[in-house]
Amino acid sequence: MGEDGYLDRLKHLDFMKMNRRAFLKAVGALGASLFLQTYRSEIVRALEFSETRIVWVHGGECTGCSESLLNGGEPDLLQALKRLNMRLAYHEVLLGPQGIYVDGKMANTSELNSEILFEEVIEEKGYILVAEGAIPNGPRGTGKYCILGGKTYKDIFRRAAENAAFIVAVGQCATNGGVNSADSEIRDLMDFRGVAFTMEDREKGILREYGLEKPVININGCPPHADWMLLTLAAVVLGKIKVPDDLPYVLDELLRPKVFFPPDHVIHDNCPRRGYYDKGEFDTVVSGPKCLWKLGCKAPYTHADCAIRRWNGYHSLCPQSGSPCIACVSPGFPDSSRPFFQEIEDVGIVGTNIDTVAKVAIGGALLAAGAHAVRRIAVKDKPERKEEKEEKGKESAEKGGEDE
Amino acid sequence: MVEVTVDQLTRIEGHYRITTQVNEEGVVTEAQSMGLMLRGFERFLQKQDPRDAALLTQRICGVCPTSHSLAAANALDQLFGVEDAVPKNALVMRNIHQALNLIASHATHVYVLWGTDLANPAYRDLLGNYGDTGKAVWDELLGRFAPISYRLDGVDIPVGRGYAAAIAEKRRLHEAISLFAAKMPHSVLSHVGGVTYGPTAADIGQLASYYWKVMDFVEHFTLGVPPETWVENTRFASSPQKAVGFVVDRLQELVDASLVSNDFSYAAGWGDVPLYTAFGSELIGEEVLGLPASMRLDRIGGYSDPSKIGFLTYGVFFKPELGDGYDPTSPPESRVIPSGFLNGNLKLSRFDHSKITESIAHSFYVDSESDRTPLEGTTQPEPEPDEIDYSRGIESRYSWVKAPHYGGIPCEVGPLSRMLVMKDPLIMGLMDLFREKGYPAPNTFLRMLARMQEILVVAAELLKWLTVDLDPSGKFAVPTDLSMAKDSQGMGLWEAPRGALGHWVATDSDSKVTLYQAVVPSTWNLAPRNTAGVPGPVEQALTGIKISAAGNALGVDYTNPLGIFHTARSYDPCLACAIHTIDLTGKRKEQVRVI
Repeated sequence: MGEDGYLDRLKHLDFMKMNRRAFLKAVGALGASLFLQTYRSEIVRALEFSETRIVWVHGGECTGCSESLLNGGEPDLLQALKRLNMRLAYHEVLLGPQGIYVDGKMANTSELNSEILFEEVIEEKGYILVAEGAIPNGPRGTGKYCILGGKTYKDIFRRAAENAAFIVAVGQCATNGGVNSADSEIRDLMDFRGVAFTMEDREKGILREYGLEKPVININGCPPHADWMLLTLAAVVLGKIKVPDDLPYVLDELLRPKVFFPPDHVIHDNCPRRGYYDKGEFDTVVSGPKCLWKLGCKAPYTHADCAIRRWNGYHSLCPQSGSPCIACVSPGFPDSSRPFFQEIEDVGIVGTNIDTVAKVAIGGALLAAGAHAVRRIAVKDKPERKEEKEEKGKESAEKGGEDE
Repeated sequence: MVEVTVDQLTRIEGHYRITTQVNEEGVVTEAQSMGLMLRGFERFLQKQDPRDAALLTQRICGVCPTSHSLAAANALDQLFGVEDAVPKNALVMRNIHQALNLIASHATHVYVLWGTDLANPAYRDLLGNYGDTGKAVWDELLGRFAPISYRLDGVDIPVGRGYAAAIAEKRRLHEAISLFAAKMPHSVLSHVGGVTYGPTAADIGQLASYYWKVMDFVEHFTLGVPPETWVENTRFASSPQKAVGFVVDRLQELVDASLVSNDFSYAAGWGDVPLYTAFGSELIGEEVLGLPASMRLDRIGGYSDPSKIGFLTYGVFFKPELGDGYDPTSPPESRVIPSGFLNGNLKLSRFDHSKITESIAHSFYVDSESDRTPLEGTTQPEPEPDEIDYSRGIESRYSWVKAPHYGGIPCEVGPLSRMLVMKDPLIMGLMDLFREKGYPAPNTFLRMLARMQEILVVAAELLKWLTVDLDPSGKFAVPTDLSMAKDSQGMGLWEAPRGALGHWVATDSDSKVTLYQAVVPSTWNLAPRNTAGVPGPVEQALTGIKISAAGNALGVDYTNPLGIFHTARSYDPCLACAIHTIDLTGKRKEQVRVI
């Protein structure tokens, strides 16, 4: 079948519901960027839909997820908003208004005052709530470690969540607490929570604390890829997935879209350094070209499409730039990934309290790694090849050619 | 007296509140700067492998992650005892990484975070009084700087051209970073002893291509002249007067042409910097060029008492000509933008990191002492919910930000301080001119212009690092292993886009972290009052300003305090960076905890 045939078939495929095989096939046949462009014709149709309002709130975070959102390429943020008829109704970093109080009373209108704007959009209901950042629950359940406009973020988020159609948690802080929930002497005092999970614990998601049931989609990652965020929003707006009916089929147990976080695919599968792993050639100090397994790479058990999709203009991923994957999409991040630079076989997977699902996944990956280990022992004595540097140069040159 | 509070001040990183007391003339008599949230960052680095810090500390800030990774890598170099051996190529790569992030961060701030205030409806009302010329200028401001989902009088305004183009350029700069550092934000690359990736010749070619695309944007949107022309006549001008003369002459030509045509478009040569310089400053716009109106941003944001403020930089960008290795104390001659401290009267002295102390007298922490040097710091967040109250006035504790000072003096950090310490002719020339003419010096106008100028200064160096200094076949790291970090200490002095950044780390006999600390730019700029009751830099800069547009030219409007927006945002606040907790070893924990 020629490329046109694929294009034609893809028009009728729903990428959020694709399994990995179909996804890889499509990506392999067309390249990631053309694959995504095949949805443009449908995106145009979205104008016929009524406006979808996005309310984007920030808790305990670094704004890296919003920064990543601005890095979106296919589509970029402004295109996505326009083509999908979405309105970014509230966003503290990107919108004009700010909170204005005169003698303690909210002043001006929602065109200048973000506090009034927030009240108005919450009142309208039915929006998609995007949560960036963890929710501080401390000290002692009061939420007072974050107070905005005189209200705790814990209360602000509750109100926003109550009136939302559903919630998209973006980034590791919102999905699982992230770095805020890393082990430390003040972790319990601070008591940061994710939306539906805190680390691996679903009982500790802030929604359970509220006693609130809302559909949640988790877009993990520190930060998440812009495509993961924008394409998920696009899929919902385009009716490609119905919330909540389709969620059990398109999300994994951690509420992540399987198409971006495939249960049967790990980053290692498509790593550009994979050939060295198979040959049993490993870097033990940084800045070399070989497999990073002995420098602590977590790609063999990390479920994300980084190696297929690649980052920032579809260029690269962490191991390509010589740094081990730190599994920033895993629920226990960062504790489940630390120490970053020590081989898993030496230190085991430390600091985790991984639930059964994750355990099985990691067990499987380690088994697979074990199988490879046998192979690499068999080839261990082969002489090293010296022309990697040139090869890498050639690769980059070809890649550059494609981009232009 | 009217209390005007901005809560939150949006379009910054993090959660921030400003409370001011404003008199009947619309003048701020008292200001409080309040960081609203605690994350508790450094604590979770303790007892861990120190090498993780170069990746993990980036998560402090998604806007300037690169600077944190570099400050951390510098601290780790010293911790492992390899600071003398880091290959020149690795230092050049760190420079390139930092430069690309700095330009992206500044562009985002100028266009997306700060520029939006130039499209505030108060300027429509002001410029509306000046006929077709006023209307033409307002159309430019709105057409360039309107943000996403902007509405005026119920009408949806399309996203501004400058705003939209700047987002695309920021994306391009992040793509350039990903060529060698995998992704942005939270890239990789920085590592103890060097960098994790040596770029290929092809990477360098691609990076240069990205560079020229960004420079096209700078020429056509930002400056209206080729960047080389600008740099040659400002940064490398033979005197401060010549640099100012170049800018003013260029503006005069534009004004002469446009006051007739009422064409202030990009096509007519009105880049964003010329438009901002002509209409942002009363001195340049109204007095020198004879324009009928301006935003008068040079009338706000100064410091009334030179004995209570200083300007500080730790120095940034390694000098490639010095070869392998570097001095972690950052002597001024070792960095392209040098370290230095200027007192309130701009007298320069040599930077000495041991002069830094932090006060928590007005911050929500519990400690037996209110002032400590960073290396003795031990901080415990207030555990008592009722004690966290932002409404108790200036005598109380009111922020999660601490108050650092240098030799007892609160300091402004950031591009303005760097350009002053570096003696950039344009910024120095304008400082002198403002001072001479009785304007506050520095001021909000100049603080922003310094940021724009720094983009050009750094871009000129970046091209040299990329095309001259980098050797793709050279060495990019020295080998290290964990045992080299036993019972050791390291200090990483660097600059984030928004100002001085230092990381400190110490380890035990197992090479595990016992102390990790970051003292960051917004802690300096957004500090609350210190132990002696001296207000922090933003608090000082807000005191005495007229709160409404153009120095209350249209009267006092408490409900649209533009003077506060402009001035506070001109520091490019980053609260995620500013608020952090420090702990030495955890040993003092029981002693200071008062639950």
